[in-house]
Amino acid sequence: MATRSLPILLLTLLGLLLANLMFGAVSIPFKQILDGLQIGSEHYFTVHEYRLPRTILAMLVGAMMALAGALVQGVIRNPLASPDVLGVSHGAGLAAVFYMSFFPNADISWLPAVALVGSLMAALMLWWLCGQHSSTIKMAITGVALAALYASCIDFLMLVKPLEINNALLWLTGSLWGRGWNQLSMLLPWLLLMPFALWLAKPLNLIHLGDDSAISLGIKANKLRLASLAIAVGLTASCVAICGPIGFLGLVAPHLTRKLVGGRHQILLPSTMLVGAILLLLADLAARTIDPPIELPAGIMTAIIGAPYFLWLLLRTK
Amino acid sequence: MISIRLPFAGQCLALVLLLLIFSWISLFSWSVIAITPMDALHALYNMNAESIAQHIVHDLRLPRVLIGIMVGANLAAAGVIMQGLTQNPLASPSVLGINAGAALGMATVSSIAPWFGLLGTSLAAIIGGGIAWAFVMLLGSAWRGGNEHGRLVLAGVAISALCAALTKAVIIIAEDQAAGVLTWLAGSLTDARWQTFDSFWPVCVIGLLGAMLIAPTLNLLQLGDDNARNLGVSLMWVKLGGSFLVLLLVGSAISSVGAIGFVGLLVPHMARMLAGQDHRKFLPIAMMLGACLVVLSDTISRGIIYPAETPAGAILALIGAPFFIYLVRKRTL
Amino acid sequence: MSLSTHNLSVGYHDKAIVKQVDLSIPEGKIIALLGPNGCGKSTLLKAMARILSPMEGQVHWQGKNLHGISSKKLAQQLALLPQTQPIPEGIKVKDLVAYGRSPYTGFWGRINRDDQVIIDNVMTETGIIELADQLVSELSGGQRQRVWLAMTLAQDTPYLLLDEPTTYMDLSHQVELMHLLRKLNLQGKTIVTVLHDINQAARYCDYLIVMKQGEIVTQGMPESVLTETMLKDVFSLNAQIHQDPIAQTPMCVVE
Repeated sequence: MATRSLPILLLTLLGLLLANLMFGAVSIPFKQILDGLQIGSEHYFTVHEYRLPRTILAMLVGAMMALAGALVQGVIRNPLASPDVLGVSHGAGLAAVFYMSFFPNADISWLPAVALVGSLMAALMLWWLCGQHSSTIKMAITGVALAALYASCIDFLMLVKPLEINNALLWLTGSLWGRGWNQLSMLLPWLLLMPFALWLAKPLNLIHLGDDSAISLGIKANKLRLASLAIAVGLTASCVAICGPIGFLGLVAPHLTRKLVGGRHQILLPSTMLVGAILLLLADLAARTIDPPIELPAGIMTAIIGAPYFLWLLLRTK
Repeated sequence: MISIRLPFAGQCLALVLLLLIFSWISLFSWSVIAITPMDALHALYNMNAESIAQHIVHDLRLPRVLIGIMVGANLAAAGVIMQGLTQNPLASPSVLGINAGAALGMATVSSIAPWFGLLGTSLAAIIGGGIAWAFVMLLGSAWRGGNEHGRLVLAGVAISALCAALTKAVIIIAEDQAAGVLTWLAGSLTDARWQTFDSFWPVCVIGLLGAMLIAPTLNLLQLGDDNARNLGVSLMWVKLGGSFLVLLLVGSAISSVGAIGFVGLLVPHMARMLAGQDHRKFLPIAMMLGACLVVLSDTISRGIIYPAETPAGAILALIGAPFFIYLVRKRTL
Repeated sequence: MSLSTHNLSVGYHDKAIVKQVDLSIPEGKIIALLGPNGCGKSTLLKAMARILSPMEGQVHWQGKNLHGISSKKLAQQLALLPQTQPIPEGIKVKDLVAYGRSPYTGFWGRINRDDQVIIDNVMTETGIIELADQLVSELSGGQRQRVWLAMTLAQDTPYLLLDEPTTYMDLSHQVELMHLLRKLNLQGKTIVTVLHDINQAARYCDYLIVMKQGEIVTQGMPESVLTETMLKDVFSLNAQIHQDPIAQTPMCVVE
């Protein structure tokens, strides 16, 4: 299965990368895209300054969100778990809005760190409320309730301190609009987390077998859980800091991938990054081309695809 | 559990008094033009046509308070009915997707066909809420009964997320209507006028009376579907009728003031603490408590960043969300 | 003694279920842990497999505290088959069995030729070789139990700890399993297993350990342990002890 799926996924990804460069408010033929990379050409601005960084960003963010989802689902053994269902993304959002409204003059490049703190606190909060022995559905509901709490705090902050409400709103819907090379360079350091995540592939396989078996096979279950949740939180926070919470991606991508390539994390983790990148590129492409020149936030597109998928999952979960 | 065991009549009397006091405070507090407490009273029964303050009370504040009372009572009653029908302590209009569905219906109609006017958008809100509620009940397998509490809530959450995303998409695509829809989404009593009151109160009265009629049957549902059927309850009709009432109550409230969340979740639990498990008693208590809560948070929403107003819905969400978490933690799901 | 407990108390949430147990596992034997429900036999087994940390006392492996030994090294010595297992999604039978080799593989979990030989062997021995390419989630309960057993065996450890390995199996597979345990025992493995069926334990095991309310009541050869008074004391059963006509082992018949 895996050997057949991987090349197809790679080809799809390449095709979508190209499509994202070509289509939008203006269509640019394939030949002129290569020219567009040269300074001074007709489409230089559109291709090099606008579409290229955005496309790369969509690819990376999609991959990172999907990876975070796979890590969380891997250790919690819960098909309904994902950073956004567990309230981590909303926690990051709350911290970021808090930062933007109380320190309006502060350096924007601190935003990822602030979002990271927020999502860490959200993760700790969930851990504290649920402990280790909660049932899967109870954990998901607690996460959802926490997310509702953070969302209402965000609303409240934005109403009380309506400084840059438009900016914050735009950011909170989860969008790639207006993101460029600057944001891309802010994201780059966080890519270092990816090899660490892949390094966890083998123990993640074993934790899938239950804690007892995993420990008996020589895995330190609690340390592993901590490590992969920490990486997942880091990945989510950095993405949320740059694009805002893009819902359901971390939930859907690992699931689809498990259907395609099976549950071995050595294959699952890299493939889920491909699937995540594909999904976000697709969502962004649709968001830009559905009704040009108006753009929908990509986060809305992922929610429209993701929520029905979540419902379908819910029907299947016993 | 805290139980304040006043006799039922005493509880009712106390709540009515409380409601009157809250309403009175709401009539005169935090106004740009100074209103004295006496102005507020005079405006009610002995209006002085010269006084601007009394005009404000009569034309702006009074309908606002009255609508707040009705909205609170409606949402609380809807919450009680939903929790009774699903036997789920977390059931409420906001958690089970009715608010989001109504918002979607309303946003769609007002941006695609704005010429329908108030009646059209109200109808759209009711239909949207109804569709969302039907989906949640079907997907959460609540029609079959049983103890699938968590599933129902998660289905509600997912439907809400879907509706919210679609609503945002509609708002963005039809930009020119966006501002109106956005204010409405937050749930605020700012725009409550006599005009709204006139179209709201008949539906409200019918809905609340219907709720009282269904209360004895809700008592029987507590015994479980099978036992209720044994006692001669037609489950099908009760559930359909109950759902219809919920839509009537929530739909009319939402189309008057927007999506106010958490009242339906919060109040039934408070009412149960006060009046016990008998629906015939705690339903009226819940209505009065709901009214108190909405009037109070509307007053707070005017004062908290005075002179600007925050939507009352935001205040309620801040109170309601921690309570939601508390419920999830306390109940075994 | 290689595996022993010293004044060991273990439990959940501050409540001791196994109380101050001193026990040495005799090497090279098949040992059955017996006792009524809730007596602490699974808890004791989990403590010996370092799944649970002691509240008091220690578990020793070759004279050293179990929790001081590197977990990978220990995983090459001790393997546990837990009582209940999750049903992993999207995992094939052969992949699951291969996971048993992970204490020996590198960080990416690559299976080399020697590993593959062991995997094929255990799959043949447990009779699941024809299921190799199926998904674990699609198997029946009994088949799944054998797949998990195969995974534990693939760990290729001198000590095997099994928690009710016959659960979900039909009678013929139960007998097959017990024969397989005997065969593994002849290859030099020490096997500690929790069993419910007293007669099965008496017939196939060399050594019985009987527990009641977190304490060890008696231990020894089946002939000395299996008595009418023990059955009365521990299980509250009125039973007679007869000799098994085929295996010549003791056998209890409930009155």
